[in-house]
This record gives sequence, structure tokens and C-alpha cells, in this order.
Amino acid sequence: MDFMDRNFKEIFAAQLLAIIGFLVAGSLLAFYTEKLLLIPGMLILIPGFLEMRGNISGTLAARLSSGLFLGVIDPTKRKTRAIHGNLLASFILSIVVCLALGLIAFALSFFLFKVYMPKLILMSLIAGFISNLIESPLAVVSTLYFYRKGHDPHNIMGPFVTAVGDVSSIIALLIAMVIV
Amino acid sequence: MRLFHQHLQKLKFLERKKHHPLVHQLHKKYGISKKTLFYMKEYGPHANIPRTIIRESLGILLLASVISSFGGLSLEYIKSTLVSIIPLIILLPVLNGMIGNYGIIMSSKFSTMLHEGKIKGRWWVVSSIRKLFMQIFVLAIITGLLSAIAALAISSISGHPFTSMLASKVMFIVILDVILLIGILMLVSTSAGVYFFSKEEDPNNFLIPITTSITDLGNMVLLSVLIVLIF
Repeated sequence: MDFMDRNFKEIFAAQLLAIIGFLVAGSLLAFYTEKLLLIPGMLILIPGFLEMRGNISGTLAARLSSGLFLGVIDPTKRKTRAIHGNLLASFILSIVVCLALGLIAFALSFFLFKVYMPKLILMSLIAGFISNLIESPLAVVSTLYFYRKGHDPHNIMGPFVTAVGDVSSIIALLIAMVIV
Repeated sequence: MRLFHQHLQKLKFLERKKHHPLVHQLHKKYGISKKTLFYMKEYGPHANIPRTIIRESLGILLLASVISSFGGLSLEYIKSTLVSIIPLIILLPVLNGMIGNYGIIMSSKFSTMLHEGKIKGRWWVVSSIRKLFMQIFVLAIITGLLSAIAALAISSISGHPFTSMLASKVMFIVILDVILLIGILMLVSTSAGVYFFSKEEDPNNFLIPITTSITDLGNMVLLSVLIVLIF
């Protein structure tokens, strides 16, 4: 049995690409440590925020991929009911989850560290709105594109959305921090 | 066709118990695949797509957020130490994302093997499973080490030079974190996969949220413990 078979090479290549995205996100975190990580409660918010972006966009891409393979979604049309419905659902989900994340971070910082930081809730909401504007349309366009080019979006979109999602989430948090 | 739509409408309002009886009947009578019927039930022309998605996803998304926030809480406790180790801040999203991706690969491939009937009884004697797990273990260590080297290089370039002691500590933390979490993921994905499959459920639907949540919480708690012990 060949240990370094096609499977091994495919996973390695996809992971390397994803790691580049994660490293960019990590570098942004490191460069803006003083501005971002030193805000009380921010370390409680960030992991959930990054997770949420990947989860929502990943499932969006997976649903669209299934629709494409079943022939229910036309890869050449973007303005369809199915795509609009999926985008709207992703938008509502991210706002609700961001609100929950902000509330959890605020509550934990207040009760455990005695830090009153209501800005965390607003920052989470604004950052969720911004990251959604970047990530969801990108997930739709790239899923349709990869499918049209003959690739299986199931194999590509997972690492792609998590990596791009991490970068866009950190950028969105930085913008939200400036706004708030 | 009208009859088909009537059946589809009935199907839409059926509560999921074990199997949808109409899916089986429609599949047999019209030869439409069960996957297509299921997709049309959920996202068909008469379905409220946003409502369906929100209703089914919100609970698990909120649970994942709570779990991740508790993982973040452990980091908040060691914030003063963590912010002084720049390579580890760079590695934070890398380790979470990378190990999460391996969890997804393991879960989905193990589920597929269960569906294909390749695993019967003792999974650990199946050569393809052993090969897959060995491949993922090796890949996780290689990509973990490459990430650590890249994080140290980025840290150095950005004006935070590292000593050989710091580099070896970071490498040690990454390797230990990767080995422990991949081991836990293997145990969870196989035992939970076999359990859900024996209950006639699709393991894909349960294993991926379970493994990503374990990765998130486990990685952050483990990192916090290792940072406290080593630095």
C-alpha cells in the first residue's frame, strides 16, 4: 500500500493553502495585539467569532454544492431564489450568533474579571456585519466558480472558507474596533 | 407531475422520525434519488429557505459559540503570558483551523467507509482505516512543524526575535498539542461514528460539529495548560 498516495498529497496541498490563510490571520492578531488582544474580554470573543464565520460559510458552501450536484441550482445563475434564501439565512444567523457571542464575552468578563465592557457586544455585531458582507458573497461566487471549472466544491470550499473567514474576521474586528 | 407535487407537499410537513415513508415510496415509484427528494423537501420551490436553514442551524451554532467562548476564557486567564509570546499568538488561529480541518477529514472519511460497508466490527483491524489515521497523524505533525517554523520566522521579521530556547518551547508545545488532539479526535470520531451508524443515523451530521467543538475547546485549554507549565 502506497503511504504517500493521491489522498495524502491532496490533503497536504489543501492544508498548506489553508495554513497560509491562518498564518495571515495570526499575523494580523500579533501585529495588532496591543489594540485588539489587550481589550478585556477580547480573547473570549475571538475564538467563537472565528469559529462562527467558518461554520456559517462552510455550511452555506456545502448546501450550495449539494444543490449544484443534484441539479437544483444552476451554476451560471447567481440571482436565484435558492441563492438569495441561503444568503439571507447566513446573514441572519451571523447577526444572531454575533449578538450571542458579544453577550457571552461581556457576561464572562463582567462576572469573572469584574470588567464592565459593553463595547464588546457592539464590536461583535459590527464585525459580524462587515465579515458577512465579505465572506458570504465570496463563498457563493467561489462555490459556483469551482463547480463550473469542473472541481468538486466539497473538497475545496472547507479549507478555503475557514482560511478566508479567519482573515476577514480579524480585519472586520479591527474595523469594528476603530468604529467603536 | 401534480401527484408528485402533492406528495412533496405532504412530505414537507412530515416530522422526521426514523425514515420518511413517502421518500421511500416516491423514490421507488418515480426513480428520483432519495438525496434529491430530501433536498427538494428542505429547499424546494415551496419551502421557506431562510426559515428552514435558521431553524436547523441556529441551535448547533449557538452551542459551538458557547463552547468556543469557554475555550477563549482559558486564554483570557493567561493573557499576560500569552501576549508576550508572539509566535504563539500567530499560531492560535493556525492550530485551531488546522486541527479542525483534520477532524473534518477524519470524520467524513470514516463516515463514508461506514456507509460503504468497509467497517464491520473491529475498525482497528481494517487496513484502510489504519492507513488513513497514520497518514493524518504524519500530516498533522509535518504541517504543525511547518506552521511553527513559519510563525517563528514571521515573529522574527516583525521585530520580535526569538532565542533557541523559545523556539524549542514553541515547537514542543505545537507537537504535543497536535499529537494529543489528533489522538483524541481519532478516538471520538471512531467511537461516535460507530455508535451513530449503529443507530441508523448519518454519522456525518454529528461527527463534524462534535470534532470541531472538541478541537476548539481542547486546543485552547491544552495550549493554556502547556503555556502555564512551560513558560
